[in-house]
Amino acid sequence: MSFTDSLMAGLSVVGHIEAFLALAVGVAIGVIGGAIPGMSATMAVALTLPFTFSMQPITGILLLLGVYKGGIFGGSIPAILIKTPGTPASSATILDGYPMAEKGEAGRALGMALWASCTADVISNLSLIVFAGWLASFALSFGPPEFFTLILFSLTIIAGVSGDSLLRGALSAMLGLLLATVGLDLVYGTNRFTFGDPNLMGGLNFIAVLIGLFAIPEVLAMAWHPTAHLGKARSLGNEWVTFADYRRCFKSIVRGSLIGVFMGSIPGIGAAPSAFLSYSEARRNSPNKLNFGKGEVEGVAASEAGNNGVAGATLIPLLALGVPGDVITAIIIGAFMIHGLQPGPMMFVLNVDIIYGLFIGLIVSSIFLFFIGSAAIRGFKYVADIPKRILMPAVLVLCIYGVYAVNNNIFDVGVMFVMGWVGYFMMRYHIPAAPFLIAFILGPLLEDNFRQAMLMSGSNWTILFRGPITWFFWAATALTVIAIVRLAMSNTRNRRLVGNAGDDS
Amino acid sequence: MTNRSIQLQLGIGACIAAVFLVLAAIPTWVSAPSNVSNIILSPLFWPYTLGTITALVGLALIAAGFREPETDEPLNEPIEDPQNAWLRLVGAAIIMVATMLLLPRLGMVWTCMLCFVAMAFLYRTRHPVAAVICAVIVPLVLYAFFAHVAGVAIPQGHFVRLP
Repeated sequence: MSFTDSLMAGLSVVGHIEAFLALAVGVAIGVIGGAIPGMSATMAVALTLPFTFSMQPITGILLLLGVYKGGIFGGSIPAILIKTPGTPASSATILDGYPMAEKGEAGRALGMALWASCTADVISNLSLIVFAGWLASFALSFGPPEFFTLILFSLTIIAGVSGDSLLRGALSAMLGLLLATVGLDLVYGTNRFTFGDPNLMGGLNFIAVLIGLFAIPEVLAMAWHPTAHLGKARSLGNEWVTFADYRRCFKSIVRGSLIGVFMGSIPGIGAAPSAFLSYSEARRNSPNKLNFGKGEVEGVAASEAGNNGVAGATLIPLLALGVPGDVITAIIIGAFMIHGLQPGPMMFVLNVDIIYGLFIGLIVSSIFLFFIGSAAIRGFKYVADIPKRILMPAVLVLCIYGVYAVNNNIFDVGVMFVMGWVGYFMMRYHIPAAPFLIAFILGPLLEDNFRQAMLMSGSNWTILFRGPITWFFWAATALTVIAIVRLAMSNTRNRRLVGNAGDDS
Repeated sequence: MTNRSIQLQLGIGACIAAVFLVLAAIPTWVSAPSNVSNIILSPLFWPYTLGTITALVGLALIAAGFREPETDEPLNEPIEDPQNAWLRLVGAAIIMVATMLLLPRLGMVWTCMLCFVAMAFLYRTRHPVAAVICAVIVPLVLYAFFAHVAGVAIPQGHFVRLP
């Protein structure tokens, strides 16, 4: 079947109003679900799944894909307005989005988040269509040693989100790695820091840790100084994102989208590390690097491009190999199976109409995301006008409901409160929270793949250098570490020179 | 606190934590099967590695603290009433502990209403009536959504149950 025939076959299955309506409704549900902290895109997709059972396969799957895409963007709205990421993927958006909201530029930040998300979405979808087979075969050759070196390289992202002090960032990452060890051992199933409590055997709930670390410290900071926000603008502001802003950030958006495509095509990495890597790369290459973390619109663009770039690419292993790229695509694979479809290489032969129908639907979803996202920004802007001394108790209550709803477990609410105090202590001591979160996500993956590699090789270290992929990641890690150390030394030297100059004057 | 004092305090804290981890916490709270022949595959290997790296980061922080130029410039924004601020933080801690204790007894909706009001008054809100109205509406709306749309079994408590 030629490309044109496949495209026509795809059009024949999606060329009706129900399919596009399902896509639009899905994007709207996703944006709303993603914008409610603690709900997350995953939960929104899971809740929508039962509604697809009675639909045509393509309509039901498009509805779920719409929820997925909308959810990833929706998470940026509370991240920017109230410093609470609606989804883990939007954690990096906080770094510059919230300082922009504090400066009265929330509208500009949200606008850039939308533009970057839509651009990344288009790039990600096109990559899915063009590179699906090639990228899938590349990811297929990854084993535990390759994953270990990839994750080790990903940990160098921490340097990019450590702020003023690399060492404080490293300390934060160590704390994250240590807390990630709580639970049953991955190989032997023995207890590690569980203190005999069954609630701790599965490890600390990621959503509870995430919300505790980012939202609760704000609630506590408000108790420490309730009037600190007075006189500081916190509305959407009159300034909207301009085409000049978009043009200035375009390079970072494209770079972030490609990072997202690469990370998304490898199963198990997810959108949050991609967003942080994209942010870190944008910061490293930007002429405004000193402004990052203080409200730089390019930081918002890079983070959002990084996490939305993943959305289309996670479908590459799903469609080409039948391997889900993350939790959400694992739920979506369930929808395929319910409708009697088996994602994988044979689907490109037997159900080419559905494959191309999905491609067409995904391209259209970017357009829906732009219009529905614009409307959502205008709807959610009222959050920024609520008095902060009423908004913060509301955030606390929302966090309690959201964290409880993940596992129906009150213990998770307690974990959130404890992590909130840890986060507040870190805030007071200027320890960045982002390295903690990255290490908490990547820690179990790093350990798991390391031990699997050792088991495979009978504890022979040379397996970690077994081929070109591992060599590439080792070299990339070494080069990044050298660059980080050189940069840190030059920063310290500059600070001391400034200090000495101050003493002399 | 200056940048120098923060670096030093964190460095000393990290070293103490690392020593506690390596000497007390890991041997006590991490169990490993006795038949593991290779230390690399043992459940103890990763925590010990992390404990050691934490100690190294702590030492580096202490060294960086000593190399930091002496300045009097505090990193945190000064506050007018530090004593009241500490009291409010203690108040927030009490509200959180009370929330945890009341959640299974009163149920999530009523506990969250009390929690909302308590936090709003702890912040000395200038809109007390709006705060009380929001304290009633927000938990109820969230309950309606999570219980009836998302199908989450929200704790109802022993006293007043909602439909």
